[in-house]
Formats: sequence, C-alpha cells, structure tokens
Amino acid sequence: MKSICDVIIIGAGHNGLTLGAYLARSGLDVVVLERRHEEGGGLCTEELTRPGFLHNVHANYHTFVDMAPPVADLEVRRNGAEYIRPEVQMASIFDDGTALTVHTDLDKTCTSMARFSEADAETFRRLHTEAHGFVDLLLGTLMYQPPMSIKELTRALAAFGVEDRTEFLSVKLRRETINEFLDQHFTHPKIKAHLAFHGAVCGYTNDVAGLAIGFPLLVGKIDNWQLCVGGSHRLAHALWRDLAHHGGTMISDAEVAHISIEDGRAVGVRLATGEEITARMAVASTVAIEQTMLDFVDAGEIPPELRTRVAEKVVHKDWSLFSVHAAMTELPEYSAAEFDPDVNRAWVINLGYASTDELDDDWRLIRKGGLPDPRPNAAVNSLYDPTDAPEGCYTGLLRQFAPFDLDDGGAGRWEGMGRWYGQRCLDAWRRFAPNLTADKFIDWAPFTPLDISRKLVNMVNGDWMMGEISLDNMLDQRPLPELGQYRTPIDRLYLAGSTQHPHGFITFGPGYNALQVIADDLDIEPWWREI
Amino acid sequence: MPDIYTPEWYEAVRDAINARVAQMSGLPDGAWNIAIDIIGDGTSPYVDEGSQRNFVARIENGHCAWYREVGDDGPGVKLDFRFTGPATVFDEIAAGQLDPIDAALRGTIKAKGDMRFLMRQAEHVQVLLSAYTDGVETLWPQGAPPYPGGSK
Repeated sequence: MKSICDVIIIGAGHNGLTLGAYLARSGLDVVVLERRHEEGGGLCTEELTRPGFLHNVHANYHTFVDMAPPVADLEVRRNGAEYIRPEVQMASIFDDGTALTVHTDLDKTCTSMARFSEADAETFRRLHTEAHGFVDLLLGTLMYQPPMSIKELTRALAAFGVEDRTEFLSVKLRRETINEFLDQHFTHPKIKAHLAFHGAVCGYTNDVAGLAIGFPLLVGKIDNWQLCVGGSHRLAHALWRDLAHHGGTMISDAEVAHISIEDGRAVGVRLATGEEITARMAVASTVAIEQTMLDFVDAGEIPPELRTRVAEKVVHKDWSLFSVHAAMTELPEYSAAEFDPDVNRAWVINLGYASTDELDDDWRLIRKGGLPDPRPNAAVNSLYDPTDAPEGCYTGLLRQFAPFDLDDGGAGRWEGMGRWYGQRCLDAWRRFAPNLTADKFIDWAPFTPLDISRKLVNMVNGDWMMGEISLDNMLDQRPLPELGQYRTPIDRLYLAGSTQHPHGFITFGPGYNALQVIADDLDIEPWWREI
Repeated sequence: MPDIYTPEWYEAVRDAINARVAQMSGLPDGAWNIAIDIIGDGTSPYVDEGSQRNFVARIENGHCAWYREVGDDGPGVKLDFRFTGPATVFDEIAAGQLDPIDAALRGTIKAKGDMRFLMRQAEHVQVLLSAYTDGVETLWPQGAPPYPGGSK
C-alpha cells in the first residue's frame, strides 16, 4: 500500500471519486480510501436476490446527468457510464383507477395533467418552461459553487427584481413549504400530490418550511431522471476509471481510524489496520460529519464547543427509506392503464398518494416512529434497461418512506421485520398491478433503514441525504455554519461529502464545490473553470 | 450617434458605463474580463447566420477599461465570464427592447463564470447592464430591431 501521496480522500462514494479524479487530472498524487470492498458508496449495485438480477441497493435515480459539470469534465460516458432517459419518466396512480404521467415530452405531460385540471396543466407548462430557462443559472449559482448565504441570495434576487419577472421565483419562498408553493399555484389535489411526491423522492419533504425555494429547480429537472445502464455502480466504476487513468489510486477495504494532525495541520491518516499514509498537501473527508470530526480527529485538535455542536446540532433526516428489491417474471400491468396506457411504461411510480394531506399524515406518523400503511413508489429499471435482469425477467424496486427509529423498540426493531413489511409493500403494489401475484416473484429482498446505516455507515440513522434538507441546514449553514464552506478549523482538512452543500443524491455537488476551495488553497490552476 | 458594433459604439458604451458607475460607492476591487459571444441567428442583419461575433469588456475596480470586438485569434486575455446568445437577443437588448435579466432567466442568454460574484454585485451589474441597454443613442444602419419574427 502507498505510504505517501499528495492528497488523501476518505470515502470512495461519487463525491470522493469526483474530487479525486479532478485532483488527479490536475497532476496531484491522489489516494482515495474506502472502508467497503468496492468504490461507489451509495452507487451500489448488487445481486441481492438471484444471480443476474442487478439491484441498485441505494442510488437509483440520476437526475443531474448532463447538468452537473463533472459529467462532462470527467468524461463519465467515455469512461463507461451509459445513461437512459426514460420516455415516461414518472407516474402517479390513484386508488380510483386514474393516473397522471410525466413524460420527457412536455406536451404529453400537460395533456395528462389537463385530464385533471386544464388550468393546472397550463400553470405547469409555464412553470416548467420558466424553470427550464433558469435552471442553468440556478445550478450555476446554487448547486455548483460554494454556497452563498440565504441573506445574500435574497438580497440579489431583490436587486435583480426577480420577483417582478417571474411568478415562480420569490424571496418569500425561503419561508414557505412546498405545500404552500403548490397551494398558491395549483388547484387539483392529485397534481399537487404528484409534484409533492416528486419533491419527496428528491429528499425535499413537502411540509418543511423553506424548501419552496428549491422547488422551481426540482421542476426544472423533473424530466431529467436517468438510469445508469447495468446499474448505478457503473457510474462509480467510470469515476474510478478516470481517477486511475490519471494516476490516482483507490484502495478498498481501507477503513480510516484516525486523521493525523501536526501543528494544527492535517498530514495523513491511520487505518484501522494500523498502517499510516502521509498526505503532503491535504486530507478531504466525504464521510459522516460525526465520523470525521468526532471519531477520526483527536478531541484536543478542535475547539470543544465545536465537538459539542457536531454531536448535538447536526440534524439528520427525520425519515428514511424501506426498500424491496424484487426478481420478477412479469412486468407490472396496472389497472390504471385503462385510464392512461402510459403508466405501464412509466419508470418511477407513486402508488397511491392522492393529496398532499395524505403525504403530510404519513410524515407526521413517521416522525413519531410509526409505520405507514404502505404507499410505496415503484421502479422497474428493466423496462428501459434489459441488461439488469436475465432474459425474460425483470428487476423491481419498491421504496417506502419510513422511520429509522420505530416507536415500539427503536431501530433495532427493524430486525426481523423486513419480510413482514416488505410483503405489505408488495401487497400494496399488487393492488394497483393485479398481475403481480406471488408466483411472479422469483425472489425478493427487503432492505430496511437499519440496513442502510449498517451498509453505508456514513448514512447515520438511515439518513440517505447525510443531513436534513431544511432551511437551517442548507447552503452555508450545512452541516453547521462554521463548517459550511468545506474547510474545517484544522488546516488542510476538508469536508467534501454529502454532509455539505448542496446535499446527498447523485449531484456531484459537494465533491465539486470542495474542489473549488481546495484548488484556491493549494494554488491549483482550475482548468475545469476555463471560460 | 455611433453605429451599432463599431469602435465608436464600444467607446460610447464604455463611457456610458463609467458615467453611471461614477455615481456608485462600494464598487468591487479587482479586474474582470467578460466575453460576449453573439451568434448569428438568421434574423439579425449584423451577424451572419452560422457565424458569431465576439466581444470582450474589461472591468477594473468597477469601471470599464475597454470594450472591443475580438477576432478569430481569441480574446487575448484570460476570461472570467462569458455570455452567449443569439444576435437578435443582443440587438434587442442594445436597443433597450429586451431586458437582459429576463433573457438570462429565460435561458436565451447562457452565462458562464462565478455566478456568486455576479449575485453579490447585483447593484453594480444592474448599472453595467443599464448602460448597455439605454446608455447610448445607437444607429442601426442595416435596420433596427425588433425584426420580423424577432426573439419574443
């Protein structure tokens, strides 16, 4: 194993690999250390059920493809990642047999919405058109730059008179929930439910104050949901390949135990095996903030009040995900196809939420540790990517919003509950797709919130966003104001994971933004910012 | 009155900018080179369809040091920002008929560079843009916008 390099990156998720690949392309000797047996973090694809069935254990939806700068800069396609943008992106199917579909073709989406409300369809058309116009600007301003403060942002929006130029961008959004945004602009409960569901799958809970500010951006990419052919792990492999091609090294089964600090400066790490690796220039961590600041760094190296704040003030998501991974012999045939045949071709499907009130009720229940009656979302990747299952078979994924800590026994209560709750989720699916009888499932495997935190230890408490998405935990406030610009109180120790702005999901943002800060500090010529 | 896209017009734009920023306080320190790439769209008579005209402005401590058209050999300076869009859109902006912020929000003008800087200097940016849009009495020798079938 290498004993010395320029930069050590802790964690080979997509942010760590992204940062590593950029630095390697800049001529630095980079080592990325990964606790698990493979790179990828949440980009994890495994044969959880039977051989030949490729299940995306965690990240399934890639919505920033061709929007995030690293996709082009690091040539992820040339490095082997192939993407499909399903024609029917998403659907909501309701108990009364009706359905709403979102297409890559805006006209088709509006036609589907118009069956519920012509006025809402027109509003959506305006919102989508406007959002598409400013999505690049928003991405460049909000996502792929170290964050501004909400105050700076508000001031700029006011100075540019943005509120007077668009009905959908307003300074007051910073105080509003997505529900309030939807209530102001839309009328039909099912359309509002679908748009709120879409936000929730992106981690933006519809009843949390302040998240309305991100909603136009979500709509700007509502038709850019893409799936990685052969499984999400292919993206991790492409990033690793770029890293390796430019001289970087990724070491798996390399669990970091300690960050070495000399005279207030990070100079390397010690692995759990006792091996030491020296970093001449910097150490960047992409794992949980608690791991980095409390476990890896000696207590005396940072102010005690910061340790206390990391321990007590870092906010994690208050809901997690329960998944069912299925190996199937038939595609779902939804009863609602009689209403809208396109539901049978929809990639991501909301099974049953018909109003924002129903979503809100489940959030309230989940926050108290209760298990909702399943209304999972379903995705059959094989519809568009037949390589993820043996010929004539299909790979299915159900995701149910769920608590990490159950009210009657905490997270440990998930032990032994996976099959029971998974069966309830499958039953819920069958209500909408009656052909999915038990014999159509060769096998299935549950994956609980507890499983998430065990497999991906940086997703503390099943927190798949590595930090709540809320107004006081976004932009420069994430994960804490004093750690919100990717630097730490320790010289040359950086934070580059999803604990940082913008957040989790396959955004590439935290790694890319940390790169800007590291490049400034290390005097690296930012070739990627060439105008 | 200068003709659009002539050295006299560039100087007039520069002077208009500097006259307006002279009234401002808190101008940003430092220098920035800003490229403007105007793409021929078959409507504007000032840029051939399929070709483009390239301009660079240099801002020093908030004032415009120079504004000029550059040729095929490139800008000759390291760029900090680049704004790209169809010729009709830029013509309409220069004629005061189209708001550049609206054009950016609609995505008809694409921006590259550190958007945070522009956001933090919003008042200054507004003054620069206003000088460009209504600071110069411009002649349009091949016809003035709006053109039939213009950007709107």
